[in-house]
Amino acid sequence: MDKKTVTTISYLSRLKIDPEEEEKITSDLENIIKFVDQLNDAETSDIEPLTNPLEKTAKTRTDQVTAKNLKKELLEIGPSSNEDYFLVPRVVE
Amino acid sequence: MSWETVIGLEIHAQLSTKSKLFSGGSTKFGAESNTHVDLVDMGLPGVLPVANKEAFYKAIKFGLATGAHINQISSFDRKNYFYPDLPKGYQITQMTKPIVEKGSIKVSTENGEKIINITRAHLEEDAGKSIHDLFEGETGVDLNRAGTPLLEIVSEPEISSAKEAVAYFKAIRQLVTFLDICDGNMAQGSMRCDVNVSIKKIDSKELGTRAELKNINSFKFIEKAINFEIERQISVIESGESVVQETRLYDSDKNETRSMRSKEEANDYRYFPCPDLLPVVISDKELNEIKDNLPELPEEKQKRYISEIGLESSEAKIISSSKAMADMFEEASKKTDDAKMTAKWLVGDISALLNKENIEIDESKLSPENFGKLIERISDNTISGKIAKSVLEEVWENGNDVDEIIKAKGLIQIQDESLLEQIATQVLNSNPDQVAAYRSGKDKLFGFFVGQVMKETQGKANPKSVNEILKKILS
Repeated sequence: MDKKTVTTISYLSRLKIDPEEEEKITSDLENIIKFVDQLNDAETSDIEPLTNPLEKTAKTRTDQVTAKNLKKELLEIGPSSNEDYFLVPRVVE
Repeated sequence: MSWETVIGLEIHAQLSTKSKLFSGGSTKFGAESNTHVDLVDMGLPGVLPVANKEAFYKAIKFGLATGAHINQISSFDRKNYFYPDLPKGYQITQMTKPIVEKGSIKVSTENGEKIINITRAHLEEDAGKSIHDLFEGETGVDLNRAGTPLLEIVSEPEISSAKEAVAYFKAIRQLVTFLDICDGNMAQGSMRCDVNVSIKKIDSKELGTRAELKNINSFKFIEKAINFEIERQISVIESGESVVQETRLYDSDKNETRSMRSKEEANDYRYFPCPDLLPVVISDKELNEIKDNLPELPEEKQKRYISEIGLESSEAKIISSSKAMADMFEEASKKTDDAKMTAKWLVGDISALLNKENIEIDESKLSPENFGKLIERISDNTISGKIAKSVLEEVWENGNDVDEIIKAKGLIQIQDESLLEQIATQVLNSNPDQVAAYRSGKDKLFGFFVGQVMKETQGKANPKSVNEILKKILS
């Protein structure tokens, strides 16, 4: 874990890190990884990967439209919107 | 230096379910903005996605039709990235256990048939739509499409030219439409593709660095974008530089691809299993039921048309080439006993009209019922083939009922033999020179007489009867 990785992670997660805290966070993350790394000592070569800790399988839906038109209510809870769209700062490709 | 092109396609086919992959929101195209949005599609806190079984069934149909392995236990993962039209901040997709793996499809290319292997086909949700050009300094977001089920079909990098890529795309489109799992409508974005292109020296075993071309939605643009990209990569390498692995956007107005730098900083998607969704299990019973109910595919249809109906192989091939054509043929044939004549008209006059207007048959005003009726009226001698052409033209223009047109225009074929004899005699009497020439051996004039009688009757005579009557009088 180096400073560059921490910067990348902070960018990817859109979490701003205070420069003063950078060192502490780096060492915290390092400790977390060290702790979790103990799992690598367990012998798992014969075990199927576990995708979910509940040993159950999914209930599924039949293909039916159940949603109501909530356009007005949903647009209202957006941080910014007009009568038709949610609005965000311009994104250009 | 000679270069070899290596292409792989990722095709996104929108599955034709009524509701979304994880919510009861409608998938209907063209609705007013933000009216088909469920709380799950919005990614509101506290909601839980529940998988739509029908999407699995449709994906399995694709798997079975491509001879693939079906993972009866498949699971979902999160692909994390930030973009305004992805409200949750991640897309739910199948990274580790896709529903379909290792299939293949037969593609007709310029150099004959080629098998292209399909690495995998997995379920994932579509994002919403960003509207960039409507608002000053802001982007509008419409979440109607968010959560719509997609089947992402990933080919092996086995495609070796732009033309072959198009042929592969067409084969996949033909298959998904025949399976009735996707409407194949490219203009509405129901099928889109990303293309991975790289080049390597002919004798080299190692693949070159690839560029990914994003979101191309027409056959024409696939070909153009790939050809542009091949030329670009060759010139990059031949000028001593190297190709950068990156995502490039195809600009159809300028016919060029250009780098999408914005995507590059964020290409670490940090996939992990989606904790909201348990693995979905498909039972043997479900799998067998889907297997038993797979629709007839183009190749089987073609064979059946030849062996059971007696069509020419060229006709059978054209009719089974698209779902819309095959449906038209089969539906219309129910209205008439003469399936062979139905095929002749479909491949002949109707195909010509379709080519002229560059449309598919389901975009025309001709309904299968009306088309079947037209054939039946020829076959029961109500109208002649010649009149039928003019009736078809009118149906083509306005979609009116065949029987109505025949009645309104008085087009019913003259059945009265004595009336035809009378007209034939008149024609011969008014052309004494031609009759004399015919009798002295100019056989070809017979056609002239037939033509004159048809003209007199405004095409309403049955040419076969006219032939017989003229032969009788002239003998």
